[in-house]
Amino acid sequence: MISFQQVAVRYPLGNVALEDATFEIEDNEFVYLVGPSGAGKTTILKLILHELVPTEGVITIDDFQFSHKNFKRVAELRQKIGVVFQDFKILPDDSVFENIAISMEIKGYPTKEIRKQVEEALALTGISDKKTLFPAQLSAGELQRVAISRAIVGNRKIILADEPTGNLDPKTAWDIMNIFKKLAISKTILFATHNTDIVNSLRRRVLVLKDGRIIKDNKKGGYKL
Amino acid sequence: MNTIITSLRRTPYQTFAALSVLFFTLLLSGGIFVILTFLQGLLGYVETRPRVIVYFQVKTPEKDIFAIRDKIKATNKAIDVTYISQDEAYKIYEEFTENDPLLLEMTSPDILPASLEIDALKPEYLPEIAEFVSGMPGVDEVQYQKDIINNLLNLTSSIRKTASFFFAYLMFMSIIVLTTTLSFKIALKRDEIQVLKLLGATNSYIRAPFVNESVTLGIMAAVLANIILIGTMLTLNTVLATFFAGIPELTISLSEVQLQVWPFNIPFILFTLGVTALFSLFITLFSSYAATNRYL
Repeated sequence: MISFQQVAVRYPLGNVALEDATFEIEDNEFVYLVGPSGAGKTTILKLILHELVPTEGVITIDDFQFSHKNFKRVAELRQKIGVVFQDFKILPDDSVFENIAISMEIKGYPTKEIRKQVEEALALTGISDKKTLFPAQLSAGELQRVAISRAIVGNRKIILADEPTGNLDPKTAWDIMNIFKKLAISKTILFATHNTDIVNSLRRRVLVLKDGRIIKDNKKGGYKL
Repeated sequence: MNTIITSLRRTPYQTFAALSVLFFTLLLSGGIFVILTFLQGLLGYVETRPRVIVYFQVKTPEKDIFAIRDKIKATNKAIDVTYISQDEAYKIYEEFTENDPLLLEMTSPDILPASLEIDALKPEYLPEIAEFVSGMPGVDEVQYQKDIINNLLNLTSSIRKTASFFFAYLMFMSIIVLTTTLSFKIALKRDEIQVLKLLGATNSYIRAPFVNESVTLGIMAAVLANIILIGTMLTLNTVLATFFAGIPELTISLSEVQLQVWPFNIPFILFTLGVTALFSLFITLFSSYAATNRYL
């Protein structure tokens, strides 16, 4: 479970990235984070990943609890979370297979298990034939699939997806959404987007953000600008 | 291993710089280490043969000399006291001058002094024994190896001090060069490190490839340095044999174990190899830790 209790992120010059954010997300729940650019979607994802530290409030993720104080179990926390970055963050010198495998190597999985899970993830995301290629040889859609594959291997319970369809053409974006639909059965997913079509196609819980505040928590799904 | 080799090949100039400095450091350190252990062995050899020689005036009666010998034995500071009579001294002189009969003709047993050769139990007893006998009647001159031991002690101490300074300097220089080289590589991979951290990589996981690469360089440098060092030692073995003809072997004690340092032998060569490898390991581990620490 992910829990935010009155979490705020304020920068020294007075800018507010997030204010009084309080919500809970159950295990295996699919939640959209929507809102215009600068609303605080990425801030929430960064807070969960402990890439950003809250200036106020407490965040609890399963048995991890942290606030603005020093938190030493960062690597342990991150090993539970798969991330699909907006800019993919694929390692340029490693092949597709290696890029996905690294997510499991970090957690110390044996080679045999790594091979098995990576092959399954490649099949799920439809890029089995690209596993020996390098990032420079892939399209944006294919890179996004590599990023998703990397996020789902290694038994990561939580998937954070930051605008995963943002740079993609509509057809590829729908393909990616279908992958997330399959993943939604067994993983907690936080999906940041401002694509209303995508949000409305899969009617799941929506957290609407504006100017760093959660202005609506629509548990029945659906979103209108 | 393939990853390490690829990484080293991708940055040939940095690899060469780091390897050269490490090689130079290990070669010099190894050389100094061999010289120091050799001198230590030599010092030990001289120290284990502490001897005072007491020369008597030619007219001193034998019974007086024997009385002094008994007094020395009674002190329990001597292992052995050997009496060399005037006749025995002449025989020794004969052996020394067998190639120069003219010198022998000019000498007779009655002008050579009788003497006592005293083997001390410990080197520190030498001055005490020398002082004890020097005031006795009939004693003409007392000689012992004070100067030789002092000179060797001074030499070893000077070399040890100079070597410590060199070790420190070489180590500092190697660490700086290796840290800088690794820092360049790490800076190039900063984004990659950031991604790994976001995926949950621990510091040791991120550090591992850089440490492995650095240690590999250290091993390569140690192997190269030792090839040259061992080659030099084996070459010098025959040259030094003529200088140390009377010395069968030199040893140093490492707590309970006695290690033979001369003539050069396999255990000593392996010991030198181990010391340089450990030195190399320390430098490479410290450098890689320092370089990666900035980015973790």
